[in-house]
Amino acid sequence: MKAILVILFVSLSFLFSQEYHVSKADKNEVKFISDAPLEDFEGVTDKIDGYLYFENGDFTVNSQLYFEIDLKSLDTGIGLRNRHMRDNYLHTDKYPSTHFKGKIVKAEKTADNQFNVTSEGVIFIHGIERPLTVNGKLTTMDDRIQIQCQFEVKLSDFNIPIPQLMFMKINEVMDLRLNFYLKRFDAKDK
Amino acid sequence: MKNAFIFVFVFSLMWTGLSAQDPAIRWKREEPKTKEQLHLFHSIHAVNLPTAETLKKNELEYEISHRFIPTVTADNAYFGIDGPANIRTALAYAITNHLMITVGRSNLQDNYDFRVKYQFYQLDNPAFPVLLATRAGLGWNTEVYESSGKLRDKTDSKNFQYYGQLIFNTMLWKKLGIGVVPSYLYNSHILCVDTEYSFTVGSYLQYYVSALWSVYFETNTTVTGFRRTYNPITLGIELETGGHFFKIFLSNSQALNPSQFMAGADLNVRDGDWRLGFNITRILKL
Repeated sequence: MKAILVILFVSLSFLFSQEYHVSKADKNEVKFISDAPLEDFEGVTDKIDGYLYFENGDFTVNSQLYFEIDLKSLDTGIGLRNRHMRDNYLHTDKYPSTHFKGKIVKAEKTADNQFNVTSEGVIFIHGIERPLTVNGKLTTMDDRIQIQCQFEVKLSDFNIPIPQLMFMKINEVMDLRLNFYLKRFDAKDK
Repeated sequence: MKNAFIFVFVFSLMWTGLSAQDPAIRWKREEPKTKEQLHLFHSIHAVNLPTAETLKKNELEYEISHRFIPTVTADNAYFGIDGPANIRTALAYAITNHLMITVGRSNLQDNYDFRVKYQFYQLDNPAFPVLLATRAGLGWNTEVYESSGKLRDKTDSKNFQYYGQLIFNTMLWKKLGIGVVPSYLYNSHILCVDTEYSFTVGSYLQYYVSALWSVYFETNTTVTGFRRTYNPITLGIELETGGHFFKIFLSNSQALNPSQFMAGADLNVRDGDWRLGFNITRILKL
């Protein structure tokens, strides 16, 4: 009887869901990188929020991945250029953030605590939603998960006019690089 | 034993039911805390007059400006561009997002300009936004020839000029920038035996045609005190990129540094006497 209960308890612990929230205390970084003929520029922010949900200790079971980025906080290093980006191209008064909502559909273990993951979902930028598949690296560490991923966004797909810099157009494909940490959610922490 | 199987059976049923639904995510969105600083004009200068804008902390701005002395109608001077020209070069630095300092030099009487600008008020009202700033500065003329033709000692107290300005800015319909700049200039005529002063009220309008282009009109009216023959008037176009401003304009003034500009202009625009000028600035990150 006791043995059955122990087996049952251990089994149930695997059935419990796991929810991780973006940890603001960690060094999160989101980069928007654009190539231009005269000078490349980067928009950088740490203002990312969101969650990862999965069950049975398997990232692909009932998985939900959501993150959003505060576009008003993007810093290109020059105040005037930030204003150009916010006011003329991203229109952050109307669309203050961008977000991705999807699920992890594939998780391939590459080391003890590392997985190559694929997530499928929808990205929202500048008022437009488009399907997106993102490949990334997921690293587990105690009560945290680190997600690193990189994907490209074609500005015209999201009705964003291509910024002009010194009369020369920059590349209309922008490279997004995300590196952020999620902490296991514990209701007691609330 | 029987009870354990019943428990497992009931739990399995419950679990299946729960899993079929969307998981109850407990994450809650926090309102973004990023508050944008209010900006009205795009540049920290109109042409000669300041806007209430400041650079971002730790940014530098390098400036090179010309005022071609021959008028645009002068013979064989290619609209005045053949020169000679008065030239200013300057470097500004933002200590905070609201406080900046500038050091500049003009070859007109080898005038050195040291100034501080402080933005002290923002009203983020959609219909009538307001920025207020103040600017104080010192002009040091280091090459002054007296009427006798003698070069005056550089450190002569008459070579120093001091000024203070209050800067009011607003922006209507996100397109039309309006600026008013009451100014006081001490020792506005450095060759006069008695110390002169000038109280002026500057004003400017700038219309932003697109994200890159704008047109503007600027004037500085002497209300009381010394003035050279005419009030300065300037009109022109501005092109901006992510870090540069190119301003090309017509003006009746040949002065670039504030302590010289505030003392008045030398050409009468009613006679069609204008001269060409340009300001180019580049913002850099320290």
